[in-house]
Amino acid sequence: MDEILAVRDVVKVFGEVRAVDGVSFNVRRGTITGLLGRNGAGKTTTIRMITGIFMPDSGDIQWLGGKAEGGSFRDRIGYLPEERGLYKQMKLVELLLFLAEIKGCRAGVRAKVDYWLERFELTEKRNAKVEELSKGNQQKVQLIGTLLHDPDLIILDEPQSGLDPVNMVLVRNLLRDLRSEGKTILLSTHMMGEAEKMADEIILIHRGKVVLEGTLDEVRGGKNTLHIDFDGDGSFLRALPQVKSAEIVNNSAEIKLADGADPQQILEACMGPLRIRRFELATPSLEQIFIDKVGDATLSNEETR
Amino acid sequence: MKKMFAVFKREYIQAVRKKMFIVMTFLMPALMIGLFMVPSLIMERGLGTKHVVVLDGTGHLKSAFTAPEKKEEAEIGFSKKGRDLPQQMQIDYVDAQGKDTDATAKSYTDRLGGKNGFDGVFVVPANALTAEDATLKYYSRSATDFMTQGRLSSRVNDAVQQYRLSKRGIDPSEVEKLMKDLKVDAVQLSKAGEQKKGGVANFFIGFILIALLFVPSFVYGLEIMRGIIQEKTDRVVEVLVSSMSAKQLLVGKILGVAAVGLTQVGVWLLMAGLAGAFGGAVLAVAGENFLQMLRVSTFVYFVIFFILGYLTYVCVYAIGGAVCNSEKEAQQLIMPITMTMMLPWFLMAPIMTNPDSNLAVGFSLAPVFGPLTMYARTLVAEPPMWHIALSILVSIATISVMFWVTAKIFRVGILSYGKRPTIPELWRWLKVA
Repeated sequence: MDEILAVRDVVKVFGEVRAVDGVSFNVRRGTITGLLGRNGAGKTTTIRMITGIFMPDSGDIQWLGGKAEGGSFRDRIGYLPEERGLYKQMKLVELLLFLAEIKGCRAGVRAKVDYWLERFELTEKRNAKVEELSKGNQQKVQLIGTLLHDPDLIILDEPQSGLDPVNMVLVRNLLRDLRSEGKTILLSTHMMGEAEKMADEIILIHRGKVVLEGTLDEVRGGKNTLHIDFDGDGSFLRALPQVKSAEIVNNSAEIKLADGADPQQILEACMGPLRIRRFELATPSLEQIFIDKVGDATLSNEETR
Repeated sequence: MKKMFAVFKREYIQAVRKKMFIVMTFLMPALMIGLFMVPSLIMERGLGTKHVVVLDGTGHLKSAFTAPEKKEEAEIGFSKKGRDLPQQMQIDYVDAQGKDTDATAKSYTDRLGGKNGFDGVFVVPANALTAEDATLKYYSRSATDFMTQGRLSSRVNDAVQQYRLSKRGIDPSEVEKLMKDLKVDAVQLSKAGEQKKGGVANFFIGFILIALLFVPSFVYGLEIMRGIIQEKTDRVVEVLVSSMSAKQLLVGKILGVAAVGLTQVGVWLLMAGLAGAFGGAVLAVAGENFLQMLRVSTFVYFVIFFILGYLTYVCVYAIGGAVCNSEKEAQQLIMPITMTMMLPWFLMAPIMTNPDSNLAVGFSLAPVFGPLTMYARTLVAEPPMWHIALSILVSIATISVMFWVTAKIFRVGILSYGKRPTIPELWRWLKVA
């Protein structure tokens, strides 16, 4: 598949802090690429360099092979910043027209405004001032502003923060629809669970560096995790040759298989000493992968659930 | 270019639609008129009548207080503008010839103040006509009633002089002619030899024009500062700078606000023009040629220096806005900035009375202060052409530099939510950004 964007060895230093420290990755056309990492990992800074808000100290950002210096390719990007912001005094329609205009898009915008307002169920509010809208609706307006000029690449920085579950599903479905329409989406989030549901490709950033990159399946590395619930003493599981590592709490074990191990053998080994209640072969969660990779359990804050 | 225009259009339309713009457009002329009309209205009516007692120890000055006041006397203590009528004065004349004036005065000074009391007691001692060092006394509740005091004393002095002269054998009707003050007509002579009537009216019109030049600069300077901070606190700015360069954004914004100011001043000038045509006709009937005080160059210079001054001030405030993160922070900055920018305004009286002094020339050629001061100079004098040209060049250079500085600070500062940058940090931004 061809690439729409290539980030090459990009560095950005703020004072003492190397916020982005030699990050490289590609975004392939027609995919949803998840840019994952904890708060402060360097995701937003990376995105701001892609959108031209910051100049990288070194490295470059390539758009379909062309150098990313002029402002022109940035008109092909739709950007939803993490810090949402709209002119609160403006009427919805006027604001949306303005947002399209600063992306160099004027022809046929009104029809698109109508289409998107309809799709987000905001048609009745079209002449309301932004400040009169609820917070969730303001988010929707901002999202419309991101999509209005029909961008090739849509960059969303934490698009679901502050949304209620219903709107979260709405956004999730929207992103999938956009992908099926051939759009490319770069999705920055710290919600591993959400990324897992949508992303085709994963880029994991930690302390300004890419620590993991690949398709979701590659990153997960196949079904190599066993969940076993049992009665009895399961401590012998750790010693089995097919087990790489095991975490056993009470009567439950999460086992990482050794390379090439057959889970069937483990099941056989369990048959004698244990009474099995659950035996499941699964892919590891992104969260688990992340913790393994970064070796830091503090990731799991409430929002990741 | 298109994007800049989008920003320009948004700024302009949003600002012109605001209530503040409409209120300012119509309130400002009303305020101006009020500022000039109210004092004279108050003089005419509001202050009421002054009730004073004149105690004449000589017994010869009765005619001076029973005859109506002469025009010149009436104008003492007022600006020499005909429309300022003096306050009404009711004078009770008391002939105290042969009495002890101080003792007699006591019975009247006891009744000073109060609703039905006197506002003042004016005592002319018995020796006033003969002694050179005789002293007149004015008793009142307020020590600052110079106007009444001045009017009474000039009446007494006139009468005393007439009396003394007629004692020397000069006919009283001759005396008045001999003592008459001569009128001064101020004439401003241009290099081309054209004459125009100068004087006080010129001075006032100058002040109005200069106020018109600089009030919008302040109002909209603050407006752009607030606008930039608003964009930061509303976090709109990230969308903006990801869509265009900081320079495009800034130029669009500043020109948009400039167009708002120009629209407003345009409306004012139109109003002034209509009022001027009407007022000019009235004054022409009254024998004053109002229009000769205004030359075509007055308007040409107004437009030039308005644009220069406006852009200068707006840039200064834009820097302020780019540096601050909240309105609160801005409040602390506004005072020093505004005070500095107001400097030429504070010095306007000396500058306009001495338009070719070192002070005036220095200010008119200095960056930032130039437009306002230079315009003042062109109003009251004819500064050398090269002064004007140099001042314009300095202003353009200043604006360019400030544009550059603002754009840089804007670019970095606009996204640095959090603490206001220190001076060394600002310096680094300028070098790095």
